[in-house]
Amino acid sequence: MPEAHGRMTVVTERAGVLQIGGALDETSGLVELVGRAVEHELVLDLGGVTFINSLGVRDWIRMQAAATKAGVHLEMRKVSEPVVHQLNMIVATRGTGSVSSFYAPYACDACGREESRLIDAVANAAALQKMEAPPMVCPECSQPMAFNDFPERFFSFLATS
Amino acid sequence: MGASILIVHPDRKTQRAVQRILGVTGYRIDIADDLDQAIRLLAHAQPVLIVVDGASVLGPQAGPFLAAAKAAGTEACMTLLGGPLGDQVPKLLGLGAVTNLLVHPMPVLAEELTITAHKLIRGDLFGLEKYLLWGTELHALTLTRASQRADQVARLAEQVRSLGQSARVASMAMLVTDELLSNAVHNAPVDAAGEHYRKDLPRDRELELDAQHQVHMRWGCDARYLAIEVTDAWGTLDRDTILGALAKTDVRDSGGGAGMGVALAYRSCDHLVFNLAPGQRTQVIAMIDVRYPPAERVPASSYNIFVERTP
Repeated sequence: MPEAHGRMTVVTERAGVLQIGGALDETSGLVELVGRAVEHELVLDLGGVTFINSLGVRDWIRMQAAATKAGVHLEMRKVSEPVVHQLNMIVATRGTGSVSSFYAPYACDACGREESRLIDAVANAAALQKMEAPPMVCPECSQPMAFNDFPERFFSFLATS
Repeated sequence: MGASILIVHPDRKTQRAVQRILGVTGYRIDIADDLDQAIRLLAHAQPVLIVVDGASVLGPQAGPFLAAAKAAGTEACMTLLGGPLGDQVPKLLGLGAVTNLLVHPMPVLAEELTITAHKLIRGDLFGLEKYLLWGTELHALTLTRASQRADQVARLAEQVRSLGQSARVASMAMLVTDELLSNAVHNAPVDAAGEHYRKDLPRDRELELDAQHQVHMRWGCDARYLAIEVTDAWGTLDRDTILGALAKTDVRDSGGGAGMGVALAYRSCDHLVFNLAPGQRTQVIAMIDVRYPPAERVPASSYNIFVERTP
C-alpha cells in the first residue's frame, strides 16, 4: 500500500529499499526518508517520479545533505527522465549518492516510436563514461533505436555520481 | 531622418539575411560592419531596434555603442550569439543601456525576428497569440486559490499528452508552468513598502487569491511550439532579477524569490519572453519547440525581455 507524502508516494519494497512515485514538490518531506536506511544504505527506486519542481529540488538537496551527515549512502535506481533532467541542471542535486540505473530517451528511425528505456549504469559504465549510449532495439519493429538526446548533455549527471 | 532598424554585424551574409527578414517591416534598414561604424550612424539615426553581433557587443566598444544607442532613443537591442548562451549570459548583464534586451543563438529564426520587430514597432508587447499560428486553440484558466496550482499543472500535462505530444514535452511543460505559476502567486505580490510579503510563505499553504492576486494562464500548441503564458497583476519582476537568474551557472545559487523558478523555466524551454509593465503586470511566455526531437535541437535557449513604454 503506497504511503502518501503530499503528491509523492512511497512504497517499501523491502527494508531500506523504497519505491518513490508521483511529484516531488513542497509537500514531499524527502528528508524523513533518510531515517529508513538500513545499515547506512538507502535505495531509492525513482522510476515512478513524474515531476520535480524547484521546491522538490531544494528538498532533494536537503535530503542529500542529511544522508551525508548521517553517513548514509544513497543508491538511486531506475531514475526517471524528469529526475535526470534536474540532476543535469543542478549539480547540487547529485550529492554523493550513486546511480545504478536510469531511464533515457530513445527513438526508432524506422517506425518513429519514442520511448524511455532503462539503462543499467553499472553494466554500461565504460560506454557511458565515453558518452556513448548503449544500443537498444525497438520493441515494435525490432529495428535499432537511436539515442534521442545529446549524450554529452544527457549523461553529464553521471560524471560526479 | 525617420525611425529605422540598425544591423551591426561583420558578416555580409548575415547582414543580408537579417535585412531581408526585417525589410518587410517597411522601416529603413541601416547596416554597420562594426560598432565604430554603428556609433557614427547613431549620431544621425533613431533606430527602433538594433540587431547586433554578440561577439562585437561583448567587446571593449560595447559601452560607447550602447551609450550612443540610448542617446538615439533606441529601445531594443537584439544580440545574436554564435554559440550556447551559458558562458555569454553573464557578460550580457552589462547591456543595460537599452530598455529591451533580446538574446538569440544563431541561426536566428526569421519568425522570431519578425515577431520581435513588430512587437516593438507597434508598441504591442503582450499576448502569446503573436507567437502561434492563426487559428491555434488557446486554453485559459485563472488561479483563484494557491492550491489549484498542482492540479492545473497535472491537468496541463494530460492535455498536452492528449494532443499527441511526447512525455518529454509534457514534462517540460509541467516544470515551466509550475515555476511560473508559483512565482506569480508567491513572489509577485508586494506591499506598499515594496516588500514581497508572500515569498517566504510555505508553498503548500492555502491562499485565497482575490482579483489583484489572481494569476491568469493561457496555453496553446500549433505543432511548432507549445506556448505557455502566465500573467500576474503586479508588474514587480524586474530586468535585473531576470538577468541575475539567467546568468547563474548553477541553479541552486539563485536563492529565494523569483530567481530559481525563472532559472529552471529558462533551462526547460526553448524561448522565454518576459513582457513587463512595471507596477501593472508581468507576463512570461515560455515556448517549447515540439517540431524536432531533442537530439536535433540546438541546446540553447533564447530570451526576450520587453518593457512596456510608460505613457
